[in-house]
Order: sequence, then C-alpha cells, then structure tokens
Amino acid sequence: MAKKVNKQEVIVTGFGGQGIVLAGKILGMAAALGDHRESTLVQSYGPESRGGACCAQVIISEKTIQYPYVKMADVLVCMSQSAYEKYKSQIKPEGYLITDRDLVNPDGQREVYDIPATRMAEELGRTMMANIIMIGFVTAVTALISEKAAREAVMSSVPKGTEEMNLKAFTRGFEYGQSKLKGREKKAAGQTGAIA
Amino acid sequence: MEEYKIILFLCNWGPHTAYQQLQDNGYQIPLEVKMIRIPCTGRISKALLFKAFEMGADGVAIVGCNSGACRYGSGTLTAENNTEDTRNIIDLLGIGRERMRLATFLPDESEALKTFLADFCEEIKELGKSPVMPAKLQPVEVYDESAQQVIARYDAYSCQDCGKCTASCPLALSGKTFSPRNIVSDIIRGNDATEKVYADVHACLTCGICHERCPSDVNFPEFIRDMRCLLNQTRISGERIQPHGGFFQSLMRTMTSKDILPDRWKWLPEDIKVDPGSKTLFFGGCAPYFDAFFKKHQHVNTVDILADALRLLNFFDVRPRLMEMERCCGHDLLWSGDRTNFMRLAKLNVEMIQDLGIETVITACPECYYTLGFEYEKNGIQPGFTVTHLYAFLENEINKGAVTFKPLPRRITYQDSCRMNRMEEIINLPRKLIQRLAVEQFQEMKDSGRSALCCGNCAWTGCDAYSKALQVKRIRQAHDTGSDLLVTSCPKCQIHLRCAMEDPFQETELKMEMIDLTSLIARTICWE
Repeated sequence: MAKKVNKQEVIVTGFGGQGIVLAGKILGMAAALGDHRESTLVQSYGPESRGGACCAQVIISEKTIQYPYVKMADVLVCMSQSAYEKYKSQIKPEGYLITDRDLVNPDGQREVYDIPATRMAEELGRTMMANIIMIGFVTAVTALISEKAAREAVMSSVPKGTEEMNLKAFTRGFEYGQSKLKGREKKAAGQTGAIA
Repeated sequence: MEEYKIILFLCNWGPHTAYQQLQDNGYQIPLEVKMIRIPCTGRISKALLFKAFEMGADGVAIVGCNSGACRYGSGTLTAENNTEDTRNIIDLLGIGRERMRLATFLPDESEALKTFLADFCEEIKELGKSPVMPAKLQPVEVYDESAQQVIARYDAYSCQDCGKCTASCPLALSGKTFSPRNIVSDIIRGNDATEKVYADVHACLTCGICHERCPSDVNFPEFIRDMRCLLNQTRISGERIQPHGGFFQSLMRTMTSKDILPDRWKWLPEDIKVDPGSKTLFFGGCAPYFDAFFKKHQHVNTVDILADALRLLNFFDVRPRLMEMERCCGHDLLWSGDRTNFMRLAKLNVEMIQDLGIETVITACPECYYTLGFEYEKNGIQPGFTVTHLYAFLENEINKGAVTFKPLPRRITYQDSCRMNRMEEIINLPRKLIQRLAVEQFQEMKDSGRSALCCGNCAWTGCDAYSKALQVKRIRQAHDTGSDLLVTSCPKCQIHLRCAMEDPFQETELKMEMIDLTSLIARTICWE
C-alpha cells in the first residue's frame, strides 16, 4: 500500500523511555529522506518522559502537511497497556493495530498484529532496542515506509557504534513481520500445519 | 557377444532332483546359468541374494521347494520374504526387480524347470547387461600409510594411560573386554596385525565419548576409522564382523557404479511439492533402503522422516530439488574401513550435485550432514555447495517468529545422535527445538548431551551381545525418565533401538514409542 494512499497517520505510543519518540522520528525520517515524501512529527513531552503514556504522532503524505496532529490513526503502535487504553479509540476501522504482545492485552475488538518486541530485544541483549524491532515489524506489516529507507533511517538515528546491533534488531522485527503476514496468508488459504 | 551371468540358487531337495533329471536327459543347461546348490532357499539371506548383483550378476533366480514341501518347514516362506525385500531394494537401486525371480518345483517337474530357465534367460537378455560395475573389479587405491603414521596423526603417543577412555566406553561398561587404551598401546607396540586388534578396532562404536573424556585429546573415533581403512586394505573386507551379512556395505559398494539409475523418490507422497529448477537440494539419505530391508520384522518407517522434512521445507515455502539418482553419502563405507569405495561415492555425489547447479544442500540425516559437510572436504573433495542440517534451517525459520506448536500431551525424552552430538558439535540445536514444542514434559536421560550413550552400533559394523546390552541399558534410561515418547534424531538410532525393543526375552518391558524430531515438529508446527 506504500504509495497508493496519499496520507497516512501514525500514532506510536508506550511508556516514556521505550524510545517511542525515536521510533516516530525514524518513521518520519525514513519517509521524508528515504522515500522522498512529506512527514511531520509531533511528540508529547512532559511527565510522560519519566514513565506514563508517551506518544509520537507521525503523518506521512504525498503533499504538504498543513496540520500535524493525528485525530484518527491509520497505524496505531502500542507498547504499553495504559497507552493502549488511552489511544485505542483513535484508530480508523481499516487501520492497523500493532502491539507488543507481552505488554499489551488487547480487548479483542479488532484484529491485532502483535510481536514480542521487548522479549526479542532482551534476547538480543538490550531491552532498549525494542523500538527498533517494532519499526522493523511495522515496516514489514504496514508498508508505511520502504525497507531500504527504514534501514537507512535506523542507521543514522542510533548512537554511533550500535548501528550493527540495531540493524540486527530491525531485521529481527522485519522478518517476524514478514513471517506473520505469510502465516496469515497461509491460514486464510486453509493451511495451518505442515501436514495436510 | 556379451556374456551374461545368471546365478541360480538351487535347493538341494525338490528342484535339484528336477535339475538332475534335465541333465540326465542330455539337456544343455543354458551356459549363462551358474548353478549354486544350497541346502534350503530359506538360508539364502538378503545379503547373499544382493551380493550376487553386487558382484555383477545380470539375473538371480532362487529356486526351492513348494511351500509345504520344504524339508525344514518354513524355508520357502522365508525365501519368499527375502526375495520380495531384495526385489524392492534392487528396484529402488534402478537395477530392476525383474532381474530376480523366485520359483518352486517338485522333484518331477523337470519340464517346468526347463521352461522356467529358458524363459528367465530370455528375459534377462532382453533387459541387457546389469548396470552394476562390480566394485571388486575396480582398482583398489592403496594408501601408502603405516599404523605408526595413523598413531602420529592423532597424536596417540600422548596417551597418558589414565584409562578414562575405557572407564567411559559404553561397550566396556556393558561388560565387553574392550579397552580403547589397550588398542592404542597394542598398535604403538606394532601389534596391529593381530586378530585381536582387528576385532577390537572393528568392535568400536566410534561414538566418541572417549575422545570427549581424553585429557590428551586423542580423537579416538577418527583414529579407529583410519585404522579400519588401513587394516582392510590388506584383507578381504571385514564381512564377518559386519551385521546383516554385510548387506549394507554391499549396497553401498554397488552404488559406486556410475551406470545405475536409482529411483530413490518414487514413494514420495503427493502432497509434497518439489521444484526441479531449485538451487536447493534436499539430500534424503538411505532411509528408503532401510525401510525395504527391515520392513518385515521391525516395521521401520524411516522414509516418514524424509517426507516430514520435505513437508517442513514446504511449510516455510522452500520447494527443494530432489535428486532421483541420489546415492549413499558413503559415511558407513568410510567408517567401516572402505576408503576406496567411499571416495568413489563421494566423487560421484559431488559431481552429480554440482552438475545440477546446486548451491545449498539440506539434509535431515546427521551422518549425511557430517559426511557431505565435513568429511568430503577432509578427504580432498571440494563440494562447492553449502550443507545445512534441517534443524539449523528450522531454528532459523522458527526464530523469525509467527509460528507456534500445537500442544502434545506426551512426556518426551531425547536420544542424541553421536555424529550430531560429539562430532558436529550441535548438541544444543535439537534441544532448542525441543524446548519450543508444547509437550507435557521434556526430561533428559541420565546420560545426555556430551555424555549421551550410543544407540549401540555405527556403520553396520560389529554388533554383538554387548551392543544389545548397551541398547537395553539405554532404553531403560529412557523409561526411567517417566517419558512415553522417545525422540530421536538419526534413522539408525530408530532402527537399532527398535531392534532391542523386540528382544523376545524382555517381552514388552522395553517397548516405547519412538518418533524422529523432524516428524514431531512437522506434526505439531502451525502458523500462529
């Protein structure tokens, strides 16, 4: 769906400290610098940066963006339960709800794309990288931004010396996303297991 | 005109009388028929039947008494079973099942015997010469090597006589008078030509637990392998210490013939998708032959492992290529001491795989993996393709996520494969996969991982009562874990442990259901 839709609105939300704002920044950067589209980022600061629901609102568009706030999101990424409760009503009916499986317990009202991002980050050695894994996952599932642009944006946004590790994290999330899509496709086609 | 060779195994009783009648009446037995008088058709094992083909026979007829007329009771029935199994095997090999016939005649049926012989000769001539090039007619490569060189290669001189090897050897622990340390010291002293050393060298399981324990890091399994190769250069192959009458060695040697066109995959279930243009080859291994050979008495079903491995590849959207003409990887030839024929197989396999333009070979057999992946290169053959074990492929794919496992209400335990465990150093890979399964319980056996016990035999060499005792011990360990399902990772472990479970003296005490890890994964994996 990458370029067919003119404008996509994204809310990335979670606890302060999870790298929510950085994730939003990378999404926007990838769209603007890599995919040559327009993008804006609005970040909520304040008490959230020390915990609580933190939020980054990103808009990606073909045309100039006049108003940077997101009312109803096409993609809602939730990395904490409180953030999910707060923002779950702000998603379009056809939008993507993306969560960290271990941190968010959805109400089952709509389809969820979930990934154990934090757990994966722990396995990779740094919990901090959960946001990068999430970006990988979002890139694969929603096609908001192209893979190449996302990788470049990750490379230029993370601290020097951690690029390789972060790219690995991105790949992890990206492959998980691809695998998820493939699994849904297979399931829809009636193939669940290896043995028919 | 080419000379045909047709071997006629002729029972001493009924049909031999008929045969003699023919001769008495001046009938010229067709010249290509080489008659071998035997006491009873039931005594001609699959190994003997097959050996005729290995040695270049164009046809084999086994002729006995009518069922019910057998002097010994069940001879004809045994012969029927053996014939059927052997025919299945030569068919898999691409020699053609028509080249073997079983017939029965009463003493006065000389005319019928005459017609049978004439008819069979005619059919064989129509089929043409056998594609088998007898391995024994080909030159044996002699390696200019002495026992002392083998000793030096593995630095066995550094043996400290500590005896840890013997103390850990599963054979010695089963009560056999067998000591790795003594073999080494015998050979160092130059006694490598004695019967005892020969027998001991061939009794070793090559499981590698002694190497694991050795403080001087003497690679005992490889030392034994090289000693076997060395000792067998000067002897007629060690058939008498090869179980199953040396059948499997015979089979592998036969596969060195370039001209045979095996049809290894014709049993393939229809749901499996393969792609003849793929750059990824699935190397199956000899499972179809094992099943054909053991079908009658053990219900071995190791082709299921191959089918399930292919299903798993399909599950992850990999449609591999299969090689109809696939041959044995040669592991068991090399490890039973036949380097010449191993090299022939290795060259043939590498040539065929390269001709197909294959980049990656995936296999589910630990021995194929070890041989294709490491041994070929060690023996100077550059494969030019990468070899991946199915478990590594699966771990990688499953790790990407979005797959899960259906719950399985079974308590499982795991039998390590020696090759995978101690030689390929991938002890944790199968365990990682097992941990992902949703089983009720996974309990390791008392000896597991690096100290795991062998299934009792390797390379179809040197099976005896002590191997059996070892197998019984292993199965008891499995029972002691409180498990009801024994998971294996090598088809041979399945065959050997199943054999021990059939022990009539233990009745049903040892029985335990077994499944290969590949099949277990294939049966429970699903998309999230």
